Amino acid sequence: MALLSRVAGRIYWAARYIERAEDTSRLVRAFGELVDDLPEPPPDRDAADTTWPPLASVAGGDLGSEWPTDEHGVVRFLVTDRARPGSVVTSVERARENLRTTREVLPREAWQVLNDLWLFVDREADRAVERRLRDRFLGRVVDESRRLDGVLTSTMTRDAAYEMWRLGRYLERADMTTRVVGVRAAALMAASHVDGRGHRRDHDEVHWMGVLRSLSALQMYQRATRGPIEASSVVRFLLYRASFPRSVEGALDEIERSLANLSRSDDVLAAVGDARLVLRSTSPMVDDGEDLDGAMDRVQLALADVDRALTERFLRIDGAG
Amino acid sequence: MDELLSPDGSPRPAARELWALLDALGPDELRARQRATEADILTMGITFTVYSDGMNIDRAWPFDVIPRIIAADEWARVERGLAQRLVAINRFIDDVYNEQQIVADGVFPAELLEESANFRPECRGVTPRFGVWAHISGSDLVRDDDGTFYVLEDNLRVPSGVSYVLENRAVTKRAFPEIFARQDIRPVDTYTDELNRLLASLAPEGVRDPTIAVLTPGIFNSAYFEHSFLAQRMGAELVEGADLVVGDDDCVYMHTIEGRERVHVVYRRIDDLFLDPEVFRPDSMLGVPGLMRAWKAGNVAIANAPGAGVADDKCVYAWVPDIIRYYLGEEPAIANVPTYRCMYDDERNHVLEHLDELVVKPANESGGYGIVIGDRATESELAQCATAIEADPRNWVAQPILNLSTAPTLIDGELVPRHVDLRPFILTGERSYVTAGGLTRVALREGSLIVNSSQGGGSKDTWIVTDRPIWLTEPDIDIDTEPETVTASKRATAWEQRQAGQQQVQQGDGR
Repeated sequence: MALLSRVAGRIYWAARYIERAEDTSRLVRAFGELVDDLPEPPPDRDAADTTWPPLASVAGGDLGSEWPTDEHGVVRFLVTDRARPGSVVTSVERARENLRTTREVLPREAWQVLNDLWLFVDREADRAVERRLRDRFLGRVVDESRRLDGVLTSTMTRDAAYEMWRLGRYLERADMTTRVVGVRAAALMAASHVDGRGHRRDHDEVHWMGVLRSLSALQMYQRATRGPIEASSVVRFLLYRASFPRSVEGALDEIERSLANLSRSDDVLAAVGDARLVLRSTSPMVDDGEDLDGAMDRVQLALADVDRALTERFLRIDGAG
Repeated sequence: MDELLSPDGSPRPAARELWALLDALGPDELRARQRATEADILTMGITFTVYSDGMNIDRAWPFDVIPRIIAADEWARVERGLAQRLVAINRFIDDVYNEQQIVADGVFPAELLEESANFRPECRGVTPRFGVWAHISGSDLVRDDDGTFYVLEDNLRVPSGVSYVLENRAVTKRAFPEIFARQDIRPVDTYTDELNRLLASLAPEGVRDPTIAVLTPGIFNSAYFEHSFLAQRMGAELVEGADLVVGDDDCVYMHTIEGRERVHVVYRRIDDLFLDPEVFRPDSMLGVPGLMRAWKAGNVAIANAPGAGVADDKCVYAWVPDIIRYYLGEEPAIANVPTYRCMYDDERNHVLEHLDELVVKPANESGGYGIVIGDRATESELAQCATAIEADPRNWVAQPILNLSTAPTLIDGELVPRHVDLRPFILTGERSYVTAGGLTRVALREGSLIVNSSQGGGSKDTWIVTDRPIWLTEPDIDIDTEPETVTASKRATAWEQRQAGQQQVQQGDGR
């Protein structure tokens, strides 16, 4: 059965929003754990709090001068703020709104999982700023998002609607992985260049474990490398290890696989190919860590081109037959 | 009268099982089940939309867990009456858009047609498949003190509520699984299959595997949930006007990711006047330009057919018994409420003299708006009403105030009587189908007769019950014991055990 362009768009965006909510949740949770493991910074009342604000830039946002820069402020910004597009709460709400209007295409249980999650998020959001409840809150978002994938994987016909869902999921995932690498990893590498000149800083390993955890990649990284946690090897794993499903290369593979099941997708495939070239061209930056942030920005722009090509081909209503 | 209880307070035969269970469960357990049901409704996302709610437009469906029960033999008569009524009404619609024989024969007044707000001259000369125009209808029924079912109105345009019939059943099964195991309650689930079959049977000549689309006004419509539900259950496409286009070949297409794809049957849930801006309201943003052209060319079927609403008019309503006799040569098997037509001087004078004893209704409004109930209105409301009638008599009808039947309803943990009506859904095509029961709507406010969900009404599951039990096994609840011999403490123990058992199940469920 052919898929309405309007419905295709809503499924694609529902998938992007729920992936965004999941990835942001995981990132905030991992960061909280990381901060717990680090020694308290020396008490200095006058200095601005510098621990949490960098996290906000992962979400492509800037706290701005008005916003409080302490832990609660940043968590509100990333997780619970209802006015900010891209916060976890807003993303879940938008995902639900999109699925609500495509209920006839997806398995009913999928809608129920997301509706249930929205009811939970809506009810608990304001309390989730507190550290004690935050973990449970973020954990639930991650779990339910995966449950949603589970329902679709196990009960949905492999039709065009299913492929649109996958395209949304993997494109958003690729994007989020580059953001985590760009902001967190780049900062870490730059710091060790300045501070250490090859010497490992205290807690360096803890930081890199935090980066891996924020992408659910720690265990798989250790299994794959069987070695110590080392900066450029971590970044290579997250970007190029295609067999790891949260890596950028792996996400691009999945996107190609879905496009192969859809007709007349040549232009979109070409854009994916371009994105892959841009991704591979970042290799030198990974080794010396210099301008890694800028390199990731270039990958994100290439991914935006994929989105544009996909919208042009599948989501735009054209006048012609 | 009460639907479940005899005047002496004992349960009617068809309600005995339920009543015994309610008695055995006790008020606390009943409250718990009502709460569990409300949680189900929220999680399953069973909603309706209220126009004036601004951002928060999607509301949980108000539901009372206590079902309304009708005996199967009684329902069989209603079913026959409704099928007969809709066959006759469809013959009437087909006639007024073609030969107008009924007017020529002097049975139906010509001026009524000329003045009807719902008569569409654009539809003259069209004969849809089987001569059927109103394929899907939802007639509102009420019961008076003597227990007679009356048809209060025929909703022939875009009647809604059938999705809630199915959803109410799904949640009630969870609330009272004990009874469903033991009693023969007619299933309601077959409706969407029947609807699918009916719509497919309307497809243009030679189309074997038609594409069916449900045309919705969009997410802001109060019945959007239902549109989505029906599309989902039928595997049909849910489309908005902008998803469709009529090509140069006068065929209807939808925009898909593969380009244009032909649509053969449109189940439209938008009003006539918004269907096609080329023919009706030019400012319609919901319709499809050229849709009427495609319909008239026989390239697409539309259900209900444009213009079917001509018989959905509180004036035409008054003629339905005559319409049945004229076309079918039969007596109506289900009664009409006596109706005074204000267009006639003598009937209008009667209405104006007896305003405080009548229900006065505008002829072309639905949703309970504009209704004046004589014995509840203030002097000034009655005066306003009289002025409105004299200004536009054609637009008003009046009926005696019926004493709507009640059904026990759980309000703040107590079972109290509340007024109910019933909307069964009737499918008419090559053959007829009537839902087993229908949507029971209940006025949740004490004494209120307004059952519309947009105005504080709720709903109940409706059971068509044969009085023979299907399983003759020992019941798991002590219902055979005379109530007097069960001591309070013995009952409490039984509840506690049940409750504990259920709590364990809940925890095991991981919620």
